This record gives sequence, C-alpha cells and structure tokens, in this order.
Amino acid sequence: MTEADGHSRLLYWAGVALGPLAWGVNLQGVYVFAHFSCENTRMSGAILSAILAVLALAGTVTSARAARRSAGAEWADAQGGGPRTFMAWLGVGSGVLFALVIANQLAASLMISPCLR
Amino acid sequence: MSTAAEPNELRDDVLNGLQLSTQLEKVWRTPPGLVGALMAVDHKVVGRRYILTAFAFLLLGGILAILMRVQLAGPEKTFLSADKYNQIFTMHGSTMMFLFAVPVMEAFAVYLVPLMVGTRNIAFPRLNAFSYWIFLFGGCFLWISFLLNVGPDVGWFAYVPLSSLQYTPTKRPDVWAQMITFTEVAALAVAVEIIVTVFKLRAPGMTLDRIPLFVWAMLVTAFLVMFAMPSIMVASTSLILDRLVNTRFYDSSSGGHPLLWQHLFWFFGHPEVYIIFIPGAGMVSAILATFARRPVIGYPVVVLSLIAIGFLSFGLWVHHMFVTGLPQLGAGLFTASSMLIAVPSGLQIFCWLATLWDGRPVYRTPLLFVIGFIVIFVLGGLSGVMVASVPIDTQVHDTYFVVAHFHYALIGGAVFPLVGAVYYWFPKIAGRMLSERLGRWNFWLAFIGFNVAFFPMHILGLIGMPRRVYTYTADMDWAHLNLLSSGGALIFALSFALLLVNVIYSLRKSELAGDNPWNAATLEWATSSPPPPQNFDRIPIVKHRDPLWADSESLPVVAGLSAERREVLLTSLAEAEPQIREASPEPSIWPLLAAIATTIFFIGSIFTPWAVLWGTPPMAVTLIGWFWPAGSKEDEA
Repeated sequence: MTEADGHSRLLYWAGVALGPLAWGVNLQGVYVFAHFSCENTRMSGAILSAILAVLALAGTVTSARAARRSAGAEWADAQGGGPRTFMAWLGVGSGVLFALVIANQLAASLMISPCLR
Repeated sequence: MSTAAEPNELRDDVLNGLQLSTQLEKVWRTPPGLVGALMAVDHKVVGRRYILTAFAFLLLGGILAILMRVQLAGPEKTFLSADKYNQIFTMHGSTMMFLFAVPVMEAFAVYLVPLMVGTRNIAFPRLNAFSYWIFLFGGCFLWISFLLNVGPDVGWFAYVPLSSLQYTPTKRPDVWAQMITFTEVAALAVAVEIIVTVFKLRAPGMTLDRIPLFVWAMLVTAFLVMFAMPSIMVASTSLILDRLVNTRFYDSSSGGHPLLWQHLFWFFGHPEVYIIFIPGAGMVSAILATFARRPVIGYPVVVLSLIAIGFLSFGLWVHHMFVTGLPQLGAGLFTASSMLIAVPSGLQIFCWLATLWDGRPVYRTPLLFVIGFIVIFVLGGLSGVMVASVPIDTQVHDTYFVVAHFHYALIGGAVFPLVGAVYYWFPKIAGRMLSERLGRWNFWLAFIGFNVAFFPMHILGLIGMPRRVYTYTADMDWAHLNLLSSGGALIFALSFALLLVNVIYSLRKSELAGDNPWNAATLEWATSSPPPPQNFDRIPIVKHRDPLWADSESLPVVAGLSAERREVLLTSLAEAEPQIREASPEPSIWPLLAAIATTIFFIGSIFTPWAVLWGTPPMAVTLIGWFWPAGSKEDEA
C-alpha cells in the first residue's frame, strides 16, 4: 500500500464526519451571529455558509478518493463485507447531502435580512 | 478471540443436536414460577412484556381518543367537561408519545435486535429488565394519577407559564414531569443496550454493510434517544424544581425565560418524531425485502438516509416555535432544514418503490400495511413541507391542520409499519401465523378509518378550528366535518379491535409458523419459532448481507462458547471479527428492587425535596446488591 493509499484508507469516513459537522456549525453559527451580522456586515452569514458548504464537499471528495482507491477493492454490493468502502460511499452521499442543506440555508440568509425580528 | 479453555468446562463444540439444545436451554432459561418471572433478564421475555405493555397503553390512549371524538362529534356537547377534556387530551398525547410510540419501537428492538445480529442476549440484560420495570411503574404512576383526578392537563408539551405553580397550583404538571423522567430513564437504558449490542455482539462476519436495515434503523434511533432525551429530562426536572423549590428557571420576573422551556422541549420533541419514524422505516425495509422477494435496492442509500434523517432531526426544532417572535433569519434557516429532511426521507421512499417495482411482490397483510404507510406518510410529509414554511405555519399554527399533519406523519410513519411488523414477526414471537383473512379486514378498516378520521381535519384547520378546544358553537360550520372525523375514528378503532381478536384467535387456533414461514433473509428466521432461551445453539457466521437467502440449507456456525454458563461472543465494530468470550449476567431480582426504590424516590421528590435524601439510600442498597461481585465460574476456575 502506498502512502497516498494509506491516507485515503485512513480518511474514508471524512464525508460522514465533515458533512454533519459543517451543517451543525452552520446552523448554530448563523443563528448566533445574527446580531453581529445585523450590526456589521450582512454577508457574514453567507460567507460562513459558503465556507462550510465547501468543507462538507471536501469530505465528499476525500471519501470518494478512498472509495476509488484502496477501499474500492472491497466493494461487493449484494453480498456486503466491505465496511470501509461502505463507509466511504456513505461519506460521499453525506457530504453532498449536507452541502445541499447548507446551500439552502445560505439562500435563506441571502434573502432575509439578519436585522428582521 | 480468547480460546484458553478451563480444564473442566463444557463447551458447545463437544455437544451436538438435542444434547446441545437441552444443555443450553438449561443454562439460558428463565427460572420458573413468579419469582423467576420477576428475575427474568432474557431479552425475549423482557421484549414481550415491553410490547404487551406498550400495546396496553395504546389501548388506553385510543380509548381517550374516542372519548374526545365523541365530545367533538357535534357542537356544544356536554359529554366531557372542559377540565376532563383538558386532562384527556393531555393524557392521550402523553400516553401515545411516551408510553406507546417510543417504548413499542424499543420493545421490538429489544426482542429482535439480538436475534437479528445473531447473539444470545442483549447487552446489559439486567439494565434491560430495570428499564422495563421503570417504564411500567412510570406508566402506572401516570394512569393511576389520572384515575385519581390528578392527571396532567397542560398538554403533552406542558408549556410554561401555564404549567408553572402560579397558573397550575395542583400536582398535575408534577405528575406529567415525573412521568417523563421515568420513561426517559427507561428509553435511555434501552438505547445504551441497543448501541452496545449492535456494535459488539454481532455474529462473526456481520460487517457494517451486512447489518440488517431494521438494526441500522434501531441503531440510529438509539443515538437519537441518547442525544435528545437528556434535553427533556433537564426540562422536566427543572420544571419540578421551579414548582417545588422556586428555582425560577422559567420565571421571567426573576431572570428566567419561558422560551427556554420551548427550546429544551422541542430540541427533544422534534427528534422524538424521528425516534418514532426511523424504526418504522426499518420495519418497512425488513418487510418489503421479504415480500418483494429481493433485497432492498440501494442499501447504502437507505442507511445514509437513516443517518442523515437522524442528524437533520436535531436542526428542525425551531419550526415548532415560528410564532414566538424569534429572529426571522433563524426562522429562515430552520425552514430550510425542515424542508430538506424531505430529501433523505424521499430517497428512502424511492428505494422502497424501486424494490417493489423490481421485485415479485406477494401482497400479504404486512406488505399491505407497508403500502398504506407509503401513501399516508407521503401525504403527512407533504403537509409537513407546508407547515415548515413560516407564512403558512403562522396561519395554521394551533389549528386542526397541524393535528391532521402530525397524525398523518406519526400514524402513517410509525403505526402502519408497526401493525405490519406485528403481522410479520408474530409468527416468530408466538410460533403461530396470524389470520390472513382477518388481517386484510384489519388493513382496509385501518386505512379507510384513518383517512376518514384525519383528512377532514386538514379542512377544519384551514377554516379556523383551533386545537385543544373542548367544544364549539353550531354557527362555526364545523359540525359536519367533525361528525365525519368521529365516524372515521370509530372505524379506525374497530381495526385495532380486529387486530386484538386476530391475535387472541390465532394464539389458540391458527396454523404453526415453522422457523421461516415468509422465506425471509435475516437471522431471526434461522432459529425456531418461538426462539429457544439461548436463541441459537451455535452462533451463526455471516457471509452475506442476506444470510438465509445465500446459505439457505446450512448456515455456517462458530463453536467454542461455554455450554455450562451464560456466555456471548464479542466482535469488532467494523469487521465483526471475533474478539473475546464474555459472561452474560444471570437472572436477578435486583433490577426490580432497584426500580421500586427509584420509583419511590421519583414520586416522593415531587412532594418534598427531602425525598432526595431519604430516597437515595434504598437506591444505593439495591444498586450495591445488583453489582455485588458474584464472580463468574470462569473467574473462579
């Protein structure tokens, strides 16, 4: 196993972890920063969401690399028996799904003024 | 795996056939007699009790629903007084949510998960017994209080300031709050057991991607319980403290805040919906695969959806609070989250539909209930997307539209799969088939009755009928739809009566089930019906996601566990490789005694803070007895 393969294998769970984490930070962060956004820059929520959506997608990319490389060899659909690949594919889906959720919340923060109560 | 055998220990690799079965039954059986029954730690015994008790509470909650529908069938009826109506709708919601829906799902998991993962008992079986007793005592406490006219009357959410001492100076909110503590302790205990069972007690070879979908669903549910329930326990305990010793968590005149209650309650309350729905989704996946005669399409997608729903369910709670004046930006975010949970839910539904489309479906009663689930849950999901939107929610908040929505989501999402699951797993649990003819009648009565009962409530809500009113005047024009709704509720209730008749009739007269009457694929069908005390004579080895379809003739097994004491096999988390043999606890009376001591502590503490002092020593004594090191035979060897 090459060093690169080792890293891919090591981080096959990245999408499963980063997607929900980014979403959780975004959900709480934008809400917490509402007053700051109102008083300073209205774009702070959108910027935060954009960064976190990219973070979730980074998890997807990392998991996809793991699925394609070493973990990919374990794939056996109906039979099962490749838990790392399975987690890697979950990571791919998880990163995309949570990036989508964050993007929708980003849209909300673009449409609604943080000063509205 | 530890293989160092004690010199004289009898192991299952030297016994075979009937000799092995008899020996293991002797080791694993629940002691006979009343005392033996009170000491039971077998997950099947505890699971059966849990299921029966939860269904008893369903019956009680259902009777309350019928009483409400009789009262609302016409304008200005005097069948129930306003005070009694308040108690009844509170008891109905509390019973259904805390004493039926969550416990019954966990009960099925207690019974089925160890069988489905191929082990001999659940993890922490004494905690499991304790959990059941606490649940039973908590439920009895609520219902005895109700019969003594001290039933809670502040809604199943007990909002402050209504539930504060100032506005409700009776013991009714205390009864509600402490019932919460009982049931949440029980739920948390089961959640811990499920997580450990799934992570450490799986049969060798059952890697993460070979775990049955129902077990995945229960695993996600257990995590939801672990993270959601502490919130409501903090809320209910702080409410009791406010009422008993004036802590003023929710008193705005002293720096507290009533909205804190809503945040704490709904941070639990919304995941609660998914704590009920996700097991239902797991049941649907199990039933669908069996009756479509093919594995569920998109196994990783379904698992991902379950996990995603679990996460997202913690980001929706504010949509219950859109009319409380929270910042609009926050409301916008929670609207987005609320709508997006439809994505993983929809992914699952598409996987199920594709499985039906691509399979060779056999339309037996369990599958009929699954199809009913899909129709009703999709309708509930659509109205859910509507109320996730702030403008619509503001209009229909606290109207019967919301009542219609959540009954579509909860009864569609959980009760229909649950009744399907009863028909599906009854042969395994009881050893006999349920009547198919009565089952079809049951389904159609339930499906028609449910829709006639609850669909008109959408319209009632849209034309302005508020929730929680005990009557209305004739000039409101709500009478006809309410009468229709009440008629539907009676038909729906009749369907449950038919289910009860079917169970009683089938227990006596129907055909024997055999080991695997549905030709299903998961491990619970690899043992006899009902399963023996040890579940399996030898622990199966899993080489396929659908082990019984892949190895239909002879399932490979692992040997070497003790045949003279209770022992289970621990395996690794991801790969399920055998790691160590572990002793499994013997039957014990201490969980029951600990539950009695805890009950005295809990009930005493709503009357006097001193109960914390005098209630603790008995609990400590029972826990010392429980955990007193008896020493396993292996340790003594």
